[in-house]
Parts: sequence; structure tokens; C-alpha cells
Amino acid sequence: MVRWVDLKDSLSNFWFEFKRQKTGILGILLLIFWILVAIGAPYITEPDIPEKWKTIWIEYPKTVPPTWVGVFTGVSEAPQYVVPPEELQKYVRVEGTKIIIDVPYNMKYDVPPQDIVIMDISGNSTNRRLKPSLTLKVLRPDGEEITLVSGLKIKGTTDVQVARDSSVRKAVINWVKQKTGIQLDPTKEFQLVTTLDTLKVVFAKLSPDMLDNPQALKGEYHIIVEIKTPKGTSVDLSNTKLILTGRTYGYLGTDNKGRDLFAGIVWGSRVSLTIGIATAVLTVIVGIFYGVAAAYFGGWTDELMMRFQEFMASIPSLPILILLGTYFGGHIQLWQIVLLLTVFGWVGIARVARSMAYQIKEQTYVEAAIALGAGTGRIIFRHMVPQLLPYAFAQMALNVPSAVLAEASLSFLGLGDPTQVTWGQILHDAQNAGAAVNGYWWWVIPPGLAIALVALTFVLLGTALDRVLNPRLRRL
Amino acid sequence: MGMGKYLLIRAINALIVLSIVTLVVSALFVKMAEKDLENRIQELVNSEYQSLLQQNKAPSDPEKWREERIAYYRHQFKLDRPYWWRVLYYAKRTITLDFGNTRIPIFGTERNVKNIIALALPRTILLFTTAQIIVIIIGLLLGVKAAQMVGSLFDRALSILALITTSIPMWWFGMMMLLIFAFKLGWFPANSMPDPNLTGLAHVLDVAKRLVLPVTTIVFVLFGGWAWVTRNIMIGTMQEDFIMAARAKGVPERKVIYGHALRAAAPPIVTMTIFSLLGSLGGAIITESVFNWPGMGRVYWIAIQTNEINLVMGLTFISVALYLIGVIIADISYGFLDPRVRVGASASM
Repeated sequence: MVRWVDLKDSLSNFWFEFKRQKTGILGILLLIFWILVAIGAPYITEPDIPEKWKTIWIEYPKTVPPTWVGVFTGVSEAPQYVVPPEELQKYVRVEGTKIIIDVPYNMKYDVPPQDIVIMDISGNSTNRRLKPSLTLKVLRPDGEEITLVSGLKIKGTTDVQVARDSSVRKAVINWVKQKTGIQLDPTKEFQLVTTLDTLKVVFAKLSPDMLDNPQALKGEYHIIVEIKTPKGTSVDLSNTKLILTGRTYGYLGTDNKGRDLFAGIVWGSRVSLTIGIATAVLTVIVGIFYGVAAAYFGGWTDELMMRFQEFMASIPSLPILILLGTYFGGHIQLWQIVLLLTVFGWVGIARVARSMAYQIKEQTYVEAAIALGAGTGRIIFRHMVPQLLPYAFAQMALNVPSAVLAEASLSFLGLGDPTQVTWGQILHDAQNAGAAVNGYWWWVIPPGLAIALVALTFVLLGTALDRVLNPRLRRL
Repeated sequence: MGMGKYLLIRAINALIVLSIVTLVVSALFVKMAEKDLENRIQELVNSEYQSLLQQNKAPSDPEKWREERIAYYRHQFKLDRPYWWRVLYYAKRTITLDFGNTRIPIFGTERNVKNIIALALPRTILLFTTAQIIVIIIGLLLGVKAAQMVGSLFDRALSILALITTSIPMWWFGMMMLLIFAFKLGWFPANSMPDPNLTGLAHVLDVAKRLVLPVTTIVFVLFGGWAWVTRNIMIGTMQEDFIMAARAKGVPERKVIYGHALRAAAPPIVTMTIFSLLGSLGGAIITESVFNWPGMGRVYWIAIQTNEINLVMGLTFISVALYLIGVIIADISYGFLDPRVRVGASASM
């Protein structure tokens, strides 16, 4: 029987030794940090991120860097500006059958907002032909007025986004041509219709080269939304929000669907930690028992088990994992990843555990137990496995990084669990969107650093544990 | 047990493992490609029907014609045979080195699986073996240096660097290298496909330029781990009696380290070298994909994505075979290098 006093004693001995391992302490601090992040994810960000992650985040700017970037570049970029429903009501006035929303906006930045988004306008009509229609204009500080959208029919609940709309781009280009009198050759115009950064021109000083090189015009703008409500129709603006999406967002920017990368990174920690720890623990348990069993039975059983072990070791695991991933319909669920990584991961540990178990088996007390007629299970569980525990604990920690890296790699290839937010998937999306080509560093660097940092946490813990628990193996 | 008999057993063992792996991959992949093939047959028959319609040669009984064509293609793709038959068929063909052709050409016009592998394998060897050799040289030098001054600032810095670099996903570091050196600074090309118009020295220089980023990536991620392991092995060896004896005899320190200690530490290092050289031959699938390097890993990924049974089987077979050969070579060299290791000791244990 293990006595409590002994346990407490050995634990305090262990802690005394462990405290002297600086890397181990750093590992523990990092581990605590990650656990806090993983548990606190719903409170640090929002609780519905995993469901929301699959959608496009309309009211967020697309592929913009973090807000703190401005500190280094010295350029002031428009931040996210939201007019919530309550505040919006203040700007609403009704003129006959027309509803006018006039939102003032003080543009005092070098780079204007990315987009104008109107969320949740619901239109009702009893007449099938007539629908409420919306016109969006911007009144500029120089007295000019641009109509971005005119006569948009509102059916049901509608969201309006203007920056990536080619008809809005055409309207803006025509406005510029009319105001400055410039001529555009057709290929150039066609190119502009697909690539123009609309709002940079809307918020620019009037000049002939404002399409190519817009200079921000600072001052008081008015975003004017006119909604015509013919007879029999009505609109409900009680939930309507107006958003001027920023040129920067949050702590870590956004991706091309407008998803907040900070939220993604925070939630991704859950998957990494779960997969890493679950896989490592299972792998080591399987490996230890396999090795001990092989050593205990010896002879032909051992020979057979070792042949099987060699067989598993020689299977190229990543290709097979990829094959299995596509076999499961292109996506592997979390528990399947854990299972697969365990199936391919126990091999090395089994080999070492077997050789260690052979040494233990030769010791007199085990022989005595066998001679006294102790059962197989008792000898394996009571006498052999506990001797291997120190090795097992260190191995668990050392195995986490490879599991974390393996999961990230599979997700990076697009084979991960689609219901989860993972760092590998974020990098997969980044690769697909050509983040490296386009220089979206905030989309590539943080997830990779996070993977590396989790891996490092467990490498630090593992090596420290190894040094304390297995002084004999220290130099292997 | 004699060396010859031992080798024979090892070789037979390797062959058995190779066969089973081939069979397993075959079983998996035949199942996977089934649905894809069925869809492909539908598409083929549909397009055939369309072209017949355009030539005004529409069959009088479209349903019957359709059934006939489908049956014909099912026979062509061997889908009319039972599942187990197909598994054995593909496994047998692969084991007898009859890899067949791919349906869609890979690398431009090449459809023969053997030729594809013959094209891809040297490229992977060029990339990973070059990188591995650099890793081993840097790793050994730094590891030995660190072992000489255990606990020094250099030793500790190296250990920390090793822990950090081994925690980095290689493909992510590759993305970073591309981001910085290919796209931001534009020093190196982002695409690894060699320029087909260049020949002679220009071609060599072109390939060398494209090698820089992937090689740097691999070296950076791997050298730390190598240095660390070398350091640990060397520390163990330096404490042994014969080193003390050599020092006591007055052998110069340089000679003690490089002549005595490193030689004694050679077996595990050589084994590691062989394994990492061979392990790299399969090509790191993702790293090659990130750099668009046309080697084994890249081809493997393309093969899986396009459901090319023949190619997947061929690639798996070759990489497993290479690995097993490596295991045997490692075993033999271990026996030669370290007289203390009795060959076949594990078998008689």
C-alpha cells in the first residue's frame, strides 16, 4: 500500500528538485498561462466564437492589421466606428413617406474607414410589387455629395455593404469623372471597377489623380440613408446598426472574412491543449503497457509483439494520416485525430519501455513475486508499471509538442475538425488566401507563434521532468 | 548468430512489413477512390452522350446505351470486381513494381508513375539531403563545442535555442521565410519550380537560388535538436574512463575530443544520420507544399488530392522500402562501429 506520508514525502522531494530547474518553472508558468487562456476563452472573447467562425463577419473589416500597428507606422488609420441601434434612432427623421437617417461622421484620420455597413434593416410590404427602397449618400465637408447606392429594394431583413460592390465602384468612378473631368481608358476603368478601394476615394480630396492616389479629406461628413416607403410598406429600424469598419481591428487584426484573429487564437488554444494532452497521455499509456507486456511474456509473444511494433514504426505516418483524413470524408473529428495520433505514436515508447521492463523483470523482488504465485495482472500493474512511471511522466510532457504539431499540420492541410477553431485551420485559410504573398503578416505570425509556444511549454516541462525523474537517463 | 543469417532474417522481415504496408494502403485507398471513380464514369458517359448528340448520332435507346457504356467503364476501372479482389490486385501490382500510369499528367506531360518518382525523388534528395548534411555538420560542431563547456553561457544559449527551434512547425517557418525574403524583400523566388528555359550553369544557379529558402528553413528548424542530442551524447562519453585515461596520458585536448570521444559517440550519431537522411526522402509533405518544391512530398499530396491510386501506391511503396533499407543499413553500421553491440542481441534476448 502507498502511504499518504510517503507520497507527500516523495512529492515534496520532487518539488525540491524541480524548483531548481529554471526551464521547468518557466514551463509551469507558460502552462498556467495557456490553461487560463483556454478556460477563459468565452470570457476573454465571446462565447459563440466556434459557431460564428464558420460565417462571414459582415460588420468587421476584412484583412486589416491590428490597431497597435499605427504606433509604429505613425499613420492614423480609421478605427472601427459603430453606431448602435439606440444612438441611430437619434439621427432618424421622417418626411412624409421618406425616412432619412443622417449620421454625422468626423473623419480625422489619414486613412478613411474600409466600408460602410448597414445591418438589419427589415422591410415589410403588403403590396407584392412595392418594396421599400434605400438610397445611400455621403455628404462631404467640401459640400459635394456622392450617391453610393440608389433605389436598393429592401426585402426582409437586409444588410448593406458598399466597399466591395462593383456597381458602387462604377458610381464612384462616374462621380469622379464628372467632378474632375478626367478621361479613363476602358481597360483602366475595367480594372478600377474590380479593384478600387471605394471608400478611400469617397473620403478623398477632389483632384484629377484621386483614383490612383487618393489624399484623405478630413472633416465632418454626413452618411445619409434615405428610405422610401410607398403605401403599404414599412421598415423596422429598431435593430439597425450603422458601422464604419476600420482600417485596423482588435489586438491581432482580421482575416479575409472579417473574423477577429485574436478570438480565433484564444479559442484555438483549447484544441491544441486538448489534442496535445489527450494524445500524449493515451500514447504513453499504450506504449508503456505494450512494452511491459512484451517484456513480461517474453519468448514468442515478445517476438511477435516486437515484429508488430516494427511494422507500425515503418509505416509513414503523415501520408497514412492524410489518407485516413480524406477517407473520413475530408475532415477528421477531434477524437479521431487523438485516436489516430495515438495509433501511430506509441511505437517509440513501447520500445524503450520494453527494454526498461526487461531490467525490472530481472530484479529479485519481481522474481520473488512470480515465485509466490502472484498473477500476471498484479505483477504488471503493481510491480512493473509503477517503476516506469517517472519515465512515463516525462514522456507525456515530451509527447505533447509532436501531437500539437501533428494536429496543426493536418488542419493546415484542410483535414481538421470543421466544427472547431484551430490554429492550423487559421494558417490553412491564410495559405489559401495567399497571406504570405499579400503581406498579411498578422494572419500568419500569431497562429504559428502560438503553436510554437504551446509546443515549447511542454518541451520545457518535459526536459525538466526528465532531468529530475530520470537522472540515469539524463544523458541519453 | 552469424552476420549473414541475421541479415537474411532482417531482409525477410523487411519484405513482410513492406507487403503488409502496401496491402493496408491499398485497402484504404481502393475504398477511397471508389466513389471518385463512379462519379468520373458518370461524367465520362455524360460527355460522350453530349458529343454524340452534337454529331447527330444519338443512340436510339439512350438508357440502354448509357448502361452499356457504364458497364464498359466499370470493367475498365475494375469496379465490376469485388472489393477484396481490387485490394489484392493493386497491392500485388505495386509489390511487383508495376506501378502503371496516372490518369492526369503530373509535372507537365508525365503519366508514368515510375518516371514521376524518378523525377521527384532526386529533387527531394537534393533539397532534404543538402539540408540534412548542413544540419548534421552545424549540429555536430555546435554540440561538441557545448559539451566542452557544459553550463557556460554558450551551452545554455544553445540549449534554449534548441528547445525553441524544435517547437516551431517547419512549414510555418517556411511561410515566414517566404513572407519576408520572397515577398517583402524580394531576394529569392517564391516558386521552386525551376525555369525550364535555362540550361547548363544558368540552370544550376537558378536551382541553387530556389534552394536557399527551403534549405534555410529546414536547417534552422532542425539544427538545434541535433546540436542538443550531440551535446548530451558527448557529455556522456566524456565522463567515461578511457577519456580520463587519454587525458592522463597527456593526449592533447583536441585529439581527446575529436579522436577519442567523438569516435566513441559515433554509433548513435551515425544511426541518427542514416535515419534522418532516409526519413527525409519521403519528403516533408507540407514543407514541400508550402515552397511548391516539386519533390516526393508535393507529388504525394497532389496524388492524394486527385485520387491517383497508382501514384499513391507507388510513392508509399518507395518511401517505405527506402525506410526499411535504412533500418537495415543502420543496424549493420551500428554493429560495425560499436564492437560492444552484439549483432542480433535483441533477437536472442
